[in-house]
Amino acid sequence: MYGRKGFKLISELDLYSDILPFNEALIKEILQEMQSLYDANVANSNAIRNDNNMALLPSVQLRHIALKRNKRCILAYIYNRMRKLKELRWELGSILPPEINTNLINAEVQWFQSYNKSLAKYMRSLGEDHGFNLTTNMVPPKTLYVEVKCVEDFGKLELDDGQVILLKKNTYHLLPRSVCEPLIRQGILEHKST
Amino acid sequence: MFVENLERGFYRLVKHDRCLLLVNFDVDAICACKILQLLFKYDNMMYTLVPVQGVQDMVRAFEENCEEVKNIIFINCGGTLDLVELLQPAESVIFYILDSHRPYDLCNIYSEDQVRILGKPDEDDEIPEYNDVFRDDDSSDENETDEESASDRSQTKRRRLNEEDIVKRAGRREWSEKRATILFNYTQYSYYGKSSAMIMFEMAWNMTKDNLDMIWWAIIGSTEQAILGKVESRLSVLDEGFLQAHVSRLTHKKGAEVDKQQQQQSTVKITYDKEYPFESNFCVRYSLLLVLYRHWTVEDSLRHSVPTAVSLRLWSLRGEQRLKGLLADMGLPLAQSKQRFSAMDLALRQEFKQMVEKLAGKYKVDTIIGTSFTLQYGYKFKYCASDIVYAMLALIESSSKTKLPQGCFLDALDCLSRTKKDILESGIEKAKLMLKTVFKTAQTILQLKEIRNTGSFLYVIIPEGSADNFIFAHPYPLMMLAQFTLKAYVDSSKNRRAPELPLVASAVYNAEERMCIMIGIPPVCEDQPRSLFGRAFEQAAKNTNSYIDADYFDSTIIRLKIEERPKFLDALASLLA
Repeated sequence: MYGRKGFKLISELDLYSDILPFNEALIKEILQEMQSLYDANVANSNAIRNDNNMALLPSVQLRHIALKRNKRCILAYIYNRMRKLKELRWELGSILPPEINTNLINAEVQWFQSYNKSLAKYMRSLGEDHGFNLTTNMVPPKTLYVEVKCVEDFGKLELDDGQVILLKKNTYHLLPRSVCEPLIRQGILEHKST
Repeated sequence: MFVENLERGFYRLVKHDRCLLLVNFDVDAICACKILQLLFKYDNMMYTLVPVQGVQDMVRAFEENCEEVKNIIFINCGGTLDLVELLQPAESVIFYILDSHRPYDLCNIYSEDQVRILGKPDEDDEIPEYNDVFRDDDSSDENETDEESASDRSQTKRRRLNEEDIVKRAGRREWSEKRATILFNYTQYSYYGKSSAMIMFEMAWNMTKDNLDMIWWAIIGSTEQAILGKVESRLSVLDEGFLQAHVSRLTHKKGAEVDKQQQQQSTVKITYDKEYPFESNFCVRYSLLLVLYRHWTVEDSLRHSVPTAVSLRLWSLRGEQRLKGLLADMGLPLAQSKQRFSAMDLALRQEFKQMVEKLAGKYKVDTIIGTSFTLQYGYKFKYCASDIVYAMLALIESSSKTKLPQGCFLDALDCLSRTKKDILESGIEKAKLMLKTVFKTAQTILQLKEIRNTGSFLYVIIPEGSADNFIFAHPYPLMMLAQFTLKAYVDSSKNRRAPELPLVASAVYNAEERMCIMIGIPPVCEDQPRSLFGRAFEQAAKNTNSYIDADYFDSTIIRLKIEERPKFLDALASLLA
């Protein structure tokens, strides 16, 4: 039946929220299906034109719809992957973790880089001279300072105002959120909420 | 220097700078620190908190963190040491001391600016006058010798000077003798003062930044002092009255808000169970001072509470029968008494308090009826202040080879926040284990009659080798054990002098390094828990030339080599005789 494979592609997208390896094999199959549909349609439409055999018209129409549907499915697949990548850029920053990177195809990597570039360019144009990082504080922070517990020995940390803090295992600090966030991601600090 | 107005003399000064908090390993310190942390959080003040277990720890923490920190706050540590001498801080560093250990070091008290002690001096502290201890003309000593050597201008002057000198010297000798006795009297006893958490709460209250959480922490801080017998009962009763007034004030304020918001479920409720109803509208509720009874079985709770265990003599076989008798008199079926309290029949649970209260007189366990605070948060979270104290004590002392003590400290800190129920539950389980071990060990000691009497004090050495005994390497379980055995001994002994005798308990600290830990507790008869062991240990060590490691902030706890222990005890006996 026509369109089954397209449906499979979309349901794969729907089932998993993270980026899976690009399903090239399935897409190839869909393209083959489309090719065969197209070939059949060309043959039939030639027949209609030459022999004026109107009985073939409904089947041509049906195939045409199937063709369009497959196309929509593939486009939706590609578009949605792109959208997810875009979200990741805002969440994780300009460098993707390797486990996601391996799942991308070349074109996607290129797109991601160019997206990065244009975003960076835009952010640089904001603010006076310094640029403005749009990706921080996507949700307004409730407090500027957070309570953190140090989980690993880190050594000295210099704050924006030049103060030096020694981060040693099992000490407890109240520090500015902006300084802590990367360290919390690295697993050196642990956020404590009361 | 004492700072009496904490807001002006302490909080406003530290507000603009980052500060370093050094916190001792005890429940009161953790509570005080928690209140301070919340205040700092309100004001967006950066701080670094470092748990310190002993003097060496404190020095190390100071050295690591002292860069660029101007304000250093010591909570329940450092007050008894000469901090300036010990830490050699830069001129600009200011020490704030919040310490319930007494007596304060005199150099801290009379430091002009660098050391500031938070709180008022107590009346019973009997702090010597400045002139009795320090002499501003100390420097003239050197001047004179300088003069003597340098000025050979006139002999007459010199002779006169010599006469003056003799008089002066005699005066100085007299003064220094007097100084020695004054110092001896001042430092003879080590004891505890007002709970640090209470002082912090009072400060928060004066700044009108107090809330129910803070008062709850203050309650826990003072409950710990009461449970471990750190302060006399008179003081803790006074404190309780003070706390209760604040609880009703704060709940009232909160209640008004709640009505508006209709958030009945998440309200925090602290109830105070009072012994005698002074006001008619206050609902009469007796509270039982049984350990963890809400979270344990009735039988276990009765067995492991010190008052019941002592009065019923539960360590003996007869005691066991007496316990059964008590349960039968109460009308509590044995099967029920072996269930978790929360799983008991509702009717029995509701009557439990009255049942115990009725029989308390008959079994001479009146002391288990008393007052306590209970915190209820939502439907599931209901804890008595003493439950939390036991849980925290067990958590603080739960360090092992895989877990650093500092990690345990942070667990205990987490235990105080209402959202970390799982940590609290694990703490309660650990506390049960700890109490069981304490009871079992005490039972062995009492049955084997291992308490030795030297005439001036009692001592007990916890035998090596038992698997459970590693917990006695920590000071608090050992302290609980010592208090329990002393009470039990006094109660069962025929010796009429027994109530006047203090007790020394000792256990293995580190089997590989052959170190043991030793703790001295004051006698039962003294209402004011002042212990003279701090000085006595020091003196005994000096007499025997043995090395003691007085690393703990509580001077009545020391560590020494196991080989030197018998010699040390002999010296202690001759010293106290």
